[in-house]
Amino acid sequence: MFLPDFDYHAPETLAEACDLVRDLGPSAKVLAGGTDLLIKLKHGLVTPTAVISLKALDELKTITHVPGRGVVIGARATHNDLVNSPLLHERFLSVSEAAHKLANNQVRNRGTVGGNLVNAIPSADLPPILIALDAWITLVGSNTSRTVPLHSFFTGPSCCVIDPVDEILTEIVLPDQQTTGSTYLKFALRRSGALSVTGVAVAVTMDGDTIVDSRICLGAVFPVPVRANDAEDLLRGKTWSDELLAEAGEAASCCALPITDIRGTAEYRLDLVRVLTKRALKRAITEGHV
Amino acid sequence: MSETVKQDHAVIGKSVPKIDGREKVTGAARYTADLKFPNMLFGKILTSPFAHARIISIDTSEAEKIPGVRAVITHKDAPTLKYGISPARWDENIFCIDTVKFVGDKVAAVACIDEQTCYKALAAIKVEYEELPAVLDPLHATDEDQPQIHPEFVRNINAEIHQDFGDVEAAFKDAHYVRTDTFVGNRTYQTPIEPHTATSMWDGEKLTVYSSTQSPHYFQYYIAREFGLPMGDVRVLKTYVGGGFGGKLEPTGLEFGGAILAKITGRPVKMFYDRAEMFAHNRGRHRQYMTITSGVDKDGKILGVHADFVMDGGAYTSLGIATAYYAGAMLTLTYEFDNFRFDMLRVYTNLPACGAQRGHGAPQPRYAFEAHLDNIAKDLDIDPMDIRILNARRPNTTTPNEFLVNSCEMKACLEKAREISGWDEKKGNLPKGRGIGVATGSFVSGAGYPIYRTDLPHAAAMIKVGEDGTAATLYTGATDIGQGSDTVLCQMAAEAMGYTYEQMKIVAADTETTPHDFGAYASRQTLMSGAAVKQAGEEVKAQMLEIAAEMLDFPAVDLDIREGKVFSPGNASVTLTFEEVARHFFVNRGPLVGKGSYTPPKLGGKFKGAAVGTSPAYSFAAQVSEVEIDEETGEINVLDVWDVHDCGTVINPALLEAQVHGALFMGLGESIWEEVKFDDKGRILNPNLSEYRIPTAVDMPVVHSALVDSYEPAGPWGVKEVGEGATLPTMGCFRNAIFDAMGVSINSLPLGYEKVWRALKERREEGPAE
Repeated sequence: MFLPDFDYHAPETLAEACDLVRDLGPSAKVLAGGTDLLIKLKHGLVTPTAVISLKALDELKTITHVPGRGVVIGARATHNDLVNSPLLHERFLSVSEAAHKLANNQVRNRGTVGGNLVNAIPSADLPPILIALDAWITLVGSNTSRTVPLHSFFTGPSCCVIDPVDEILTEIVLPDQQTTGSTYLKFALRRSGALSVTGVAVAVTMDGDTIVDSRICLGAVFPVPVRANDAEDLLRGKTWSDELLAEAGEAASCCALPITDIRGTAEYRLDLVRVLTKRALKRAITEGHV
Repeated sequence: MSETVKQDHAVIGKSVPKIDGREKVTGAARYTADLKFPNMLFGKILTSPFAHARIISIDTSEAEKIPGVRAVITHKDAPTLKYGISPARWDENIFCIDTVKFVGDKVAAVACIDEQTCYKALAAIKVEYEELPAVLDPLHATDEDQPQIHPEFVRNINAEIHQDFGDVEAAFKDAHYVRTDTFVGNRTYQTPIEPHTATSMWDGEKLTVYSSTQSPHYFQYYIAREFGLPMGDVRVLKTYVGGGFGGKLEPTGLEFGGAILAKITGRPVKMFYDRAEMFAHNRGRHRQYMTITSGVDKDGKILGVHADFVMDGGAYTSLGIATAYYAGAMLTLTYEFDNFRFDMLRVYTNLPACGAQRGHGAPQPRYAFEAHLDNIAKDLDIDPMDIRILNARRPNTTTPNEFLVNSCEMKACLEKAREISGWDEKKGNLPKGRGIGVATGSFVSGAGYPIYRTDLPHAAAMIKVGEDGTAATLYTGATDIGQGSDTVLCQMAAEAMGYTYEQMKIVAADTETTPHDFGAYASRQTLMSGAAVKQAGEEVKAQMLEIAAEMLDFPAVDLDIREGKVFSPGNASVTLTFEEVARHFFVNRGPLVGKGSYTPPKLGGKFKGAAVGTSPAYSFAAQVSEVEIDEETGEINVLDVWDVHDCGTVINPALLEAQVHGALFMGLGESIWEEVKFDDKGRILNPNLSEYRIPTAVDMPVVHSALVDSYEPAGPWGVKEVGEGATLPTMGCFRNAIFDAMGVSINSLPLGYEKVWRALKERREEGPAE
């Protein structure tokens, strides 16, 4: 298990990084935390001739609130930066909690939120809660900059809309919003260091006991993180009750199309979607952003 | 109650710090893979990508041309003598000759100037295979139409065992109730944190191998045998070992292949497995299909037991013939019954070979039996604790398969577990989703017979007191693989000598400098190595007393030595230091040396396989666990575990508790998560620590570890084992707690969240229980 030989670049500015990505084209890979890329390199699953490290771009590490935009999370923020961010604790504790459920402490110290998104693994823990909170991302190219809603970012397992020969994901924005509660429930086969069998994130906007609106996003049960639209429609404008949430759980499992793999059967995952959805809804309704 | 001898000990019975604790905690400890030698080469093994295939040709020419490659070897360069645990089942070659028998079987090896070059060289070796149909299902391995894996083992039967004691049929006829249950045990892997490593080098005709091994002696014996060398020309030694759990008990391609590569190149060769290669080499827990029938009287007293098992051995025997015998033999220990029949079929499959894993063969059958007993208790409306106390083995009894049990506090263990767990308050009164379970276990304190046929003593020790008496060195072949035997044996040496632990040094597990010992397996070292160490220490003490008597002009019989002080119990004015006496001894008589050796008494019956399971002494344990089940997801949350042990006199309470915790950690993983999975080509799906899930620290329940008073007459100072016995009750204990919580029986390991979910779902679909 050795890293193959490659040219290593650590550009000092984002512009320089974007130029490198464009100039080096498909032979280059962008390195953030490395918790996925280094493993792929060691196993020969990717064979770039150049690696462009973003390590010098400290401006991509901050988590701040920008009035009019929302909470802006730099793509190089590590999972533990999310876990420990006072700003997220105050506004979206659910994002910190979701980050804390990811992998183990060593990985959380190295791995980055941007890397987690671009890696586009169906069982990733951050996309569901970020999508539930209506996040969007910024992709910067050598001459371009565009924003993409996160829910339309993923196109399949390990596939997303980023242009790999021109763009770098720079930030994730959680817009200012009316939601009153959100949470991510992860079901894995061990308490730490285990990939999700199923993950469900929800965000709700409540007016008293009335569900004004909700967003439900399912992880690990579809090729990409998927919104449970049927369940959301079923809840809209209704007064919440345990029965209603149970119905929403049933509806959510109809939106999933899981596979059977080493961690669980499709049948089990479908039922977990049902259970986790109703539990997540109740938690977000009664406890806020947790 | 057994005879309890309360002795006033100076050194044993105390939680002294581990002798190597500082080195390990600071990172200073050098493990085998850390060793570097001048001109050292790196070696790797090329393994089979097929579960079963004929080797048509091997072309190493391209690999040999790669710069930095120093040697490429195949079976043509290796002795063709087969090896394994016993002559009747020597079935493994250093490198495959005609066929490969599992994915991971050894085909060739390379030695190169660095590790990177090894991978290039391996990729350049061209092996032409003709793929053969593979045997992957152990339950069909003996079918007529199945491919034959070893020509000499017809219908893929590696071993067939039939043992019959008393009259089981008559017992069933007399029984008030007879029940049969079937359970499935699972392939798991030892997962030591340190990967296997061996560095081999030659000095003329003498071979030295540094290995991460549990038994330098056993490695020495088999390496010498393979290469036709006198044992004296093979030196096997270890540095620190990061866990073994049975997986480092037999030599591998790393030692055999490394020796050949080192000979050819004339340079030291370091070989090692990575994590995936460890899983492929395996020698872990067998998959076992276990049908148990028992007859009981109306009170639940067990009258007879029939165990009928099939075991998936994988492609080779490894240590598995012992595993197969242990699987049945150890079922007779914790409960008393007179009639017992054991049938076992160990079959070959084209999967990695299985071997010895902590509790060697016993934990899965124990899970099956403890679950079976709870089923019986439920059918007869008897409290699971009561049925166990009713049947609990008593001291000074003999099992139906002729094991002599001296000390045995099985009943006291159960009663104490009942008390400290709050069993009576909890049973039947826990909130919904919670349950409480109990199970027992017992294990040998060393095997009654050697690992291979020999009349060597099982353990030997030597103590050399330093010239000025300020230090003494214990030389022992006993093998500390992390469990702390170096510490415990130094405590025992100091106790026997009348010395202090802090002044003890140790040289251990080196076939050249230390006296013979069979090593770390079958939980043998505290009792067996300890007995030899005690004798060596007492020999030192006797010599000290004799010369002290001369120095003091005082009768030796009125003198004693304790914690480095020579004194007379009756005369306070008579005193010398250990150092003064030891120095005087050296000046006048030369080196002060004590030696000891230990051979167990002749044990066991005369029937076939009678030796397996014999031991001078048996530990006993009861475990109670409380679990919480998520009714909707099947998630198993183990809340508390209470472990009560009868392990005789305790030498180091902190290390004992660490063994209980460690055993429970492994037991938890095996019970709930761990499972080596294969695809339909016999390839391992999860040869990594991400998808082969051992527990993490946050998964551990609260562990309450307790002891009962016990003294074992066959052990030095009354000791027995703890290391493996503590693994035994856990799987059954959790299964029974789940059974109590939800009323569903999980009949295969690992118990698993999805299995619980499915069992609950099926029960809901079947409608309400009767």
